[in-house]
Amino acid sequence: MEGEAGEAPGLGRPAASKDFHFHHMDLYDSEDRLQIFPEEDTQMRREVVQAEMTNKSREPMKGKAQRDLEEEVDELVHLYGLEDDHELGDEFTDKSTPRIEVSEYPPYMMTGREPLREQRDWRLSGEAVKAEDLGFGAWGSAGQCQDLREAYRYTHGHASEEYECYVIPEEEDEEEAADVFCVTCKTPIRASEKVFDEHKEHEVTPLSKALESAKDEIHKNMHKLEKQIIEMENFASHLEEVFITVEENFGRQEKNFESHYNEILETLAQKYEEKIQALGEKKKEKLEALYGQLVSCGENLETCKELMETIEEMCHEEKVDFIKDAVAMADRLGKFLKTKTDVEISAQPEFEDQTLDFSEVEELMGSINTIPAPSAPVINPQAPNSATGSSVRVCWSLYSDDTVESYQLSYWPVQESSSGKDRAEFTMTVKETYCSVTNLVPNTQYEFLVTAQNRAGLSPASECAVYITAPCPPIMKSKEIRSCEEAALICWESGNLNPVDSYTVELTQAETPGASGVTESVVGIPTCECLVQLQPWQSYTIYVRALNVGGPSARSEAATVHTTGSYFRLNEHTCHPWLTVSEDGLTVVRSERKAPTREPLPSDTCFTRCVAVMGNLIPVRGRHYWEVEVDECLDYTVGVAFEDVPKQEDLGANRLSWCMRHTFASSRHKYEFLHNKTTPDIRITVSPRKIGILLDYENSKLSFFNVDISQHLYTFRCQLHQFVHPCFSLEKPGCLKIHNGISMPKRVTFY
Amino acid sequence: MVFQFFWRRMALKQISSNKCFGGLQKVFEHDSVELKCKMKFAIYLPPKAETGKCPALYWLSGLTCTEQNFISKSGYHQAASEHGLVVIAPDTSPRGCNIKGEDETWDFGTGAGFYVDATEDPWKTNYRMYSYVTEELPQLINTNFPVDPQKMSIFGHSMGGHGALICALKNPGKYKSVSAFAPICNPVLCPWGKKAFSGYLGTDQSKWEAYDATHLVKACPGTQLDILIDQGKDDQFLSDGQLLPDNFIAACTEKKIPVVFRLQEGYDHSYYFIATFITNHIRHHAKYLNA
Repeated sequence: MEGEAGEAPGLGRPAASKDFHFHHMDLYDSEDRLQIFPEEDTQMRREVVQAEMTNKSREPMKGKAQRDLEEEVDELVHLYGLEDDHELGDEFTDKSTPRIEVSEYPPYMMTGREPLREQRDWRLSGEAVKAEDLGFGAWGSAGQCQDLREAYRYTHGHASEEYECYVIPEEEDEEEAADVFCVTCKTPIRASEKVFDEHKEHEVTPLSKALESAKDEIHKNMHKLEKQIIEMENFASHLEEVFITVEENFGRQEKNFESHYNEILETLAQKYEEKIQALGEKKKEKLEALYGQLVSCGENLETCKELMETIEEMCHEEKVDFIKDAVAMADRLGKFLKTKTDVEISAQPEFEDQTLDFSEVEELMGSINTIPAPSAPVINPQAPNSATGSSVRVCWSLYSDDTVESYQLSYWPVQESSSGKDRAEFTMTVKETYCSVTNLVPNTQYEFLVTAQNRAGLSPASECAVYITAPCPPIMKSKEIRSCEEAALICWESGNLNPVDSYTVELTQAETPGASGVTESVVGIPTCECLVQLQPWQSYTIYVRALNVGGPSARSEAATVHTTGSYFRLNEHTCHPWLTVSEDGLTVVRSERKAPTREPLPSDTCFTRCVAVMGNLIPVRGRHYWEVEVDECLDYTVGVAFEDVPKQEDLGANRLSWCMRHTFASSRHKYEFLHNKTTPDIRITVSPRKIGILLDYENSKLSFFNVDISQHLYTFRCQLHQFVHPCFSLEKPGCLKIHNGISMPKRVTFY
Repeated sequence: MVFQFFWRRMALKQISSNKCFGGLQKVFEHDSVELKCKMKFAIYLPPKAETGKCPALYWLSGLTCTEQNFISKSGYHQAASEHGLVVIAPDTSPRGCNIKGEDETWDFGTGAGFYVDATEDPWKTNYRMYSYVTEELPQLINTNFPVDPQKMSIFGHSMGGHGALICALKNPGKYKSVSAFAPICNPVLCPWGKKAFSGYLGTDQSKWEAYDATHLVKACPGTQLDILIDQGKDDQFLSDGQLLPDNFIAACTEKKIPVVFRLQEGYDHSYYFIATFITNHIRHHAKYLNA
């Protein structure tokens, strides 16, 4: 076991990496390669230059010494630009040497050239190795090398040009650094060079810019490569799985073969024993019979001989004696001759045709290849969190003795109504003992069963297992989200037709831009809303996921919550029909047009008589502050009310609402602070244009302020046994604009 | 140093000191330069005053009162203690100046200084209550007690309410806030005011307007003061036309001077009324003094 276990990864890795290489190569289409190559250019060209420098050193030193170096370089470059065949020959041709010498050189040239080629190739593969080390993927394969070589040849021309550019600064003026980039030659040069050298005609860019673009290019390619690495890693892990499966299957097959061969051998040995024994018995029987015959035959022979002797003796006797004896003899002889001499061989000497019965063996032999059909696989129950909205991963196992070629996985959605007759059933064939089934409907139960199969046939079907796909992401009801400094009420819709098990709310504090991870999760929420505790004066990004046994859904759309002040929107369900609530839920308008004559029907949720609307304040017992922008001449009522405030009554006309009402008549402002139809007598000299409202559950107070001059107007002491909501009404056409999600002015806190 | 010590000893004589809501309610006597007589004033030092400087809130009492009425009847100590305010309550007039007629009526002379600087004989020597409460007393307090000279506010009741309003309106920026209980809002037009002003300031009514809150508002270029006024609805002096808050409110409305005027149902002119709303007023001042 240990050896096997040790061996498995050893075997697995080369196999995987081999595939890895090939696969990788396949992924590189020619375009990719070209894109990748230029990055390598500079480095590679440098290598090439070195290679050429080495090559150059072979040149006769005397010639070199005599010549102006620069000229020689130019010459070399020029020659390199020529056809390959002449290139090196010319290179080795001394300028002063007569042209004829060239023809004498070719053999030498070729030998001189071959090592160079090799060297180049070697350097190329060296480059490739480097590239691989840098995570650029596998380059070492033969096909890739070929491509590289081609690419190399392609760049070769450039390289020779480069050569010149490269050598000059070295030999002429070393301290002056290159400061611009020749685009044509793809090399850094000195700006001064640009003026008189062959770069005159070339396009140049500042070195930093060139560097920048080169870096960009590298980064782009690196991203591409990173992506490929991830793909490769996935592929490799898949291969590993396949590898293990194959190994297991073959192991089983081997064992199976071994046992079958042993069985056959045993059977044969048994047969052999039986035959041998039977033959031996037969042999003994025959020999015994023959021996018996031989003995009796000998006896007869003795008797015959004795008779002959007796007769011969008689012939020599007297006549009387002879006659006497002859008669007796004749009797005896007659008697003897009467006894039949058995000359038939009792036992057949020839071997009887023994038919060997190999049918059993044949059957066994045959059964080596005809493995028994597998037994029913065991389907696993769904692993938690293994599903997505459209897929599940079904797993099963087989009995270790079974040899399975493939499995047939059948599934169908669980439907309560139809009893499986007209159900849509799907079947797929897989080799592994798992399968990711895709294209499923979210949050839906599917029944799965699996059948194993080999050459011998199908196994019985496994039990049915019910798997469920993960739900759809919930739909954030961003319009209903409300918050205060300590908490937020997140609301969403399920987004799924079938019920889900629970929801998870994920909170990410936006203050930390680097941290992308989830900082906090609230799990196991049974309903479609959740009150989450937050830190004041922060921004949060909030997501919701739906969960079932199969796993979590994808994230819902993000909702952003700022815990500065209290934030709410107007609740359109409570809105009197004559009022219009703006898109942002913070402005309410009663338009100038003549109101419909017909009064709306009384309702429990919507204001019908009082032209009012409620805000959706978060149900948190703390302090909430908001402001209302009003017109000085507008008749309005602002305040708070319980949710079940009678919608047919005016605000402040009952014990369930506390309001500030402003009426403007005959150029006089009247301010009332109404609760249960009563108001204190309060006169205010400066008409507020913005009213601040502070609801303080802790101290059971509701205060009103003139925001602009931070003047306290009035404070109600109210017993708030339940949660109240902001309410607003317009007795005349006009508009109220609510400001919330703002921090409380400091002076407000004194009341 | 010796002189200063001596001066201070001479200047302030502690009459009483009682612990109250963690702080100390004290009464001092001193020789007033402005009023040329011995004057008593009450001062409450909240617990916070032991460790640092506190804002100063001046209370001006109404007719007939001394420094004692407010400190014994209004029940302001708890709020002052909580908000960390030093509350100073001076007397309402010079006393014992032996001016003829000073004790004849309750609404003129002793106990009825009306917070004006008298210009008429025989009152002009001693009856300089305006200068006393706006200059001398604050200086004395700032020198001798742990108060923040930058943070002072003023409030008062009835005649003191009138005093508070005129002090605040005549000295923009000097007081952070002002409030009043049943103030005499338009003394020029009410019997009390007419009597007092004609006595202290003479018959030229145009001089009276300098001490009339309603007139001061009308002449006011605008102020950031947030004025809080509480008025009992069953106040007999309201119905007698001594207080005339409507005139003041009308003027403030016209000049856009922020006032919250609360007509409190069923309350009269007494200290019971003051005690009911004193906490509101102290909070009103604390909002500006502790901001």
